[in-house]
Amino acid sequence: MDWNYLLQALVLALTSAAILLIATLGLGVVFGLMGVVNLAHGEFIMFGAYTALTATQHGVPFWLACVLAAAFTGVFGAAVERLLIARLYGRLLDTMLVTWGIGLVMYQCAVLLFGTVTPGIGMPLGSVRIGGGVVSSYLLVLVVIAAGLSVALYLLLTRTGYGVLARAVVQDRTTAAALGIDARRLSCITFAIGSASAGLAGAVLLPVIPAAPNMGFALAIKGFLAVVAAGPAIVSGTVLSVLSLGSGSAMVASYGSRVLGDLLFFGATLLLLCRFPLGVTQGWRLKL
Amino acid sequence: MTLIDFSHAPSVRDARRTRRTSLLHGLLLAACCALMPAAANAADPVKVGSIFDLTGGLNIYGLQQSRALRLAVDDINAQGGLLGRTVEVVQADAQSELNKYPQYANTMVMRDRVAALFGGLTSSAREAVRPVARRSNTLYFYSSLYEGGVCDSHTFLTGPSASQQLSVLIRWAVQRYGKRIYVMAADYNFGTISAAWVREYARQAGAEVVGVEFLPLTVTDYSSTIQKIEAARPSFVFALPVGANQTGFMEQFAAAGLGQRMGIVSTNFGSGNQQIVVSPQATAGVVVSLPYFEWIDNPQNKAFRSAWRQAYGEKEPIVEAAVDVWNAAQLWAAAVRKAGAFDTAKVRAALESGLELKAPNGPVALVPRSHHLRQSMYIAQGNAQRGFDLVAHIPDVEPVYENERCDLLKQPAQATQFTPAGT
Amino acid sequence: MSSSPSSTPVASAPGRAPAAILRLPRWLPAPAATCALLLAVPWIEPYLANTIASWLIAGLLGLSLALVWGQMGFLSLGQTALYGLGGYAGSVLAINLAPGLGNPLLLAAPFGALVGALAAAGIGWVVFYGRLGQLQGTILTYTCTLILWTASVSLNAGIGRARVGGDNGMSDIPGFVAGLGLDAPPMTPNQTLACVLVVCALVYLGCRWLMASSFGRVVQGIRHSAEKTELLGYDTRRFQLVLFAVSGAIAGLAGTLYAAWGAYISPSIFSAQEALLVPIYVLAGGIGSLAGAFLGAVLVGALSFWLGGGAAGGQATLILGLCLIALVLFAPRGLAGMAGSIARGLARQRMPSAVNASALQHASVNAEGLARIASAGPPRGRVAFDATALIKRFGGIVPVNAVSRSFAEGRAAALIGPNGAGKSSFLRCCSGQYRLDGGTITIDGRDVTRWPLFRRVQAGAGIKTQAPLVYAELSVHENLWIAAHRVARDARQAAVAADEALAAMGLQAVARLPAGSLPHGGRQWLDIAMVLIQRPRIVFLDEPAAGMSGEERRALARLLATLGSTLAVVVVEHDMEFVKQLGGHVSVLHQGQLFAEGSIDALRADERVLDIYLGRNAHVQAH
Repeated sequence: MDWNYLLQALVLALTSAAILLIATLGLGVVFGLMGVVNLAHGEFIMFGAYTALTATQHGVPFWLACVLAAAFTGVFGAAVERLLIARLYGRLLDTMLVTWGIGLVMYQCAVLLFGTVTPGIGMPLGSVRIGGGVVSSYLLVLVVIAAGLSVALYLLLTRTGYGVLARAVVQDRTTAAALGIDARRLSCITFAIGSASAGLAGAVLLPVIPAAPNMGFALAIKGFLAVVAAGPAIVSGTVLSVLSLGSGSAMVASYGSRVLGDLLFFGATLLLLCRFPLGVTQGWRLKL
Repeated sequence: MTLIDFSHAPSVRDARRTRRTSLLHGLLLAACCALMPAAANAADPVKVGSIFDLTGGLNIYGLQQSRALRLAVDDINAQGGLLGRTVEVVQADAQSELNKYPQYANTMVMRDRVAALFGGLTSSAREAVRPVARRSNTLYFYSSLYEGGVCDSHTFLTGPSASQQLSVLIRWAVQRYGKRIYVMAADYNFGTISAAWVREYARQAGAEVVGVEFLPLTVTDYSSTIQKIEAARPSFVFALPVGANQTGFMEQFAAAGLGQRMGIVSTNFGSGNQQIVVSPQATAGVVVSLPYFEWIDNPQNKAFRSAWRQAYGEKEPIVEAAVDVWNAAQLWAAAVRKAGAFDTAKVRAALESGLELKAPNGPVALVPRSHHLRQSMYIAQGNAQRGFDLVAHIPDVEPVYENERCDLLKQPAQATQFTPAGT
Repeated sequence: MSSSPSSTPVASAPGRAPAAILRLPRWLPAPAATCALLLAVPWIEPYLANTIASWLIAGLLGLSLALVWGQMGFLSLGQTALYGLGGYAGSVLAINLAPGLGNPLLLAAPFGALVGALAAAGIGWVVFYGRLGQLQGTILTYTCTLILWTASVSLNAGIGRARVGGDNGMSDIPGFVAGLGLDAPPMTPNQTLACVLVVCALVYLGCRWLMASSFGRVVQGIRHSAEKTELLGYDTRRFQLVLFAVSGAIAGLAGTLYAAWGAYISPSIFSAQEALLVPIYVLAGGIGSLAGAFLGAVLVGALSFWLGGGAAGGQATLILGLCLIALVLFAPRGLAGMAGSIARGLARQRMPSAVNASALQHASVNAEGLARIASAGPPRGRVAFDATALIKRFGGIVPVNAVSRSFAEGRAAALIGPNGAGKSSFLRCCSGQYRLDGGTITIDGRDVTRWPLFRRVQAGAGIKTQAPLVYAELSVHENLWIAAHRVARDARQAAVAADEALAAMGLQAVARLPAGSLPHGGRQWLDIAMVLIQRPRIVFLDEPAAGMSGEERRALARLLATLGSTLAVVVVEHDMEFVKQLGGHVSVLHQGQLFAEGSIDALRADERVLDIYLGRNAHVQAH
């Protein structure tokens, strides 16, 4: 038993899961609070990545570029919600189709504007030795970022006024409206938060995943599956499903082949949906 | 009030639906009437079909390929055309979408009655066009690097096959770096077959493949691959990532500092604009074998380059697929002149009689039995200025595998693709 | 304004003078149009014929989605998965049969359809029998497509003479052949188009026939309200599975035809971009229309063809994405639906229910008639329904706390109690709408505790929910027909039973109007009639008199009292007068437990019962 290899594989499994988690949290928030599966999530990630890339190419420091990317993508998401998604309240499948169309349009626009292969930025922060192998320190930073983002969203949803109101609207929209809560504005804010999170993900992942029009696609697909399998508990469910599915498939990839890892991911989601039709956390008392 | 009443339906909805259906049927009918053909008219110029990916993910290659075809056709016309007729290009943009290829191919052979088809970058595109060319008895030229092994009476392949590129590359790399090889390739035909050839030539050179990894086309995170490469400690890595993510691998490889400890060789890096897109640190040191580099020094290439720059400007590198297309067009023209006709059977016979061409990448010859090219291979190493330095030139590299398996002179009805054992 | 209820359905269709000159069968337009198109085929240019054939095959794929989505309400994003599977399977067979058989497509096409049907049945079994949520089901079908996409790119295997070439795909697939012998010539593009046209027409007519049959009518019911259909005793899962399998067969057939048309098939058929196109076809043509799928496919194909020919370059996909957004937002019923709306707007037709409002007001219910319908058929003998120690919990709340009760025919049973006593919850536990956390239920000695809802209904339970549950968009007659069909021998007998029920309720005038246009009381009666038309052995009614006028209440009480002698009747009610008119045995529930029993007069005098209703603590300790 090669312990060094195992240790490395575990670390890499954790970092892979962290990458997926950063990319997926925004999707989970939007799905949990609005019931909307945003099929354009991958393209929002791409939007953030290109924003950050353009900013760094103009000399903006990387961390500031990430913040800018989150902000721009959030504003863009709010606009999309106002113009398109707000008209489709209650029509879940239609919303899914519209977001699909939006994603396609964004993808083609990116191809037109940026071309198909774009320069990468180097990995900052050097590397670190773990178990006889070298792991880039930036990947470890990503684990920290993933944890931080989860905690931040959890606090946002439980401790702030916005969070309480948003969850009230999810529980019972009519009563919330009768109490004077503006559900439309809240939906807009929720979608903006989800988009900003996606934009941040694209920017933060730029050293690992170079910006390309289809960069978000693979991440987004795994994200959808993880979120739908997660169930109603927004933050904890997403964290649980991403960690287990993501690291599981990464371990299989380390010891077997990548294709097997991907197939395991899809297959496990299938099985989870069979056993828990409404998501893994469907029976949980902890609703967040 | 209606003259024809279909509305004795059990519900109001059904009545609406039936009326809507009649409307639909009428629309369909009208649409078909609108498609009645205009009278056909004979055309004086002879047409060739061009189906390349001018837009979409593959347009780096497709755009250059179609430009090369136009350049070649202009060159042919400048010399007086073919058999007294000018050559005209019918162009279609496949938009990097596979389902467009059979559609446009069919349109070109049926509507435009092209004398030859040029097109396709990926192997799947070629496989989509091949049966159309056969069914319509049209010649098809596929001009791109690929995994090798195609044996089809109507298809001529002017790009390098994987075995051609790898035979010289592996021999060179084993001599230069050492005998332990790690193979990393995309998990589809091109990748798996190339990996099989690496094994074969490693065996011939007395080297050993210490690890193989196949990655899905969508992967973006290469950390586990880097980890495995480190654990295997090879002398050099053969890297064949495909897609927009190939740059990611190069970057992560360089960032892990692996370039100092082992060599890295490839057969597709530099075939497009990868060397420009990837950071200079990641480009430096990568060794590639291709049949064409822009910096090749011979009179044909000088002329070709200046014609290209004049027509299309200075900005982009001339990719090897472009030169493959140029060669294909010139070979076709030569065959037509030799045959004295545009008829498919006669031109094919001329092509199979052994044609040679002074191409921008040196002299090339079409091998009659396999429909592949005997051509030069160049080995180059990336430098820190996002360019390549030519390291070696091996002339007259035969497509040995294709020549061995495919004999279209003795068995002209073949239409298959041979793959090495184990793939 | 008063008028006597008018008679014929034609007259009830508003705004049109009854000047129909020629009555043709409804099924005529499709074959007529097909023949006209067939006549036009030889005049079309070969390359156009070739391209149009591919559009029609895409239309067939769209039809498969229109069937499950438009007719059944299930958005499947896995149609291309079935298309591709059928295509691969059929092509492998065709390549292997080609040396020995002149026309392999004749066998390959049904085989592809079969593979598609089996794959759909597998997926459908997971989605429908696993009771997946709507969204989860859709994502699951999308997952299947993705799995196939990932796996097929790497799959490089030989199957007989065929080679599944991974990403390179499978090439040189035998195509359309004119004739049966080994030396039969390949079909010209125009002949191929004609052949495809005929196949599409046949499949389309088959689907039309299927949706007009009894099976199709029940499926429509499932689309409008799956819950109601299950409450009527139909095994909705089986209907959904069968329809999905039919859709899979059509998709598989289309896939095989496509592979034969292009002589090539590759993993790109499973890609997300291809999967996207199918909902666009259906939306463009109109989600409720089967023929619309063909229109949508032809439109999208034509647009893509024209755009791709240089007009907009790579923006074809961009424009398609914009079209999808526009379609969903502004034309959810598709272009055909938009055209229909415009036409209706131009004709300025009035709302049907407005015309017949007066007829509704004068409808009178014939309780004896309904009772007769409910008691029709062979005598049912004794019915014994026993609920023992039923427990139902919702988190910390226990609305049903070890309640035991038995019901039998003879006298109606009423359940009363203050708010929050658990009356409706207990009723739902008995009927099967709630899954029990404890206790058992037996009907005639058989333990039905774990039986799903529809099985209990099939065993003789009739359930009238608190809010009247009817198919609001289907006609009143159709509502009754669906209810009657489950117990009738055939469609004709069900129609006769529905007519009888209509007469008993006095609703003949509004028979063809949507049930949603009835007033609340009318819908209550319709719901009751739908329950009774199935001749149940025990009926559970949750506040059936809510929203009815005084006269209607008396009629209902009379009806239930009459029925009580032949069936077991269990009623939850608040109205004491109604309970008194029912004249049956009364049970009082309080805080999830059985509190008192007896006749209504005895209970009225009971101080303890008064306590719990008035909130006093005189004789009963409040919690």
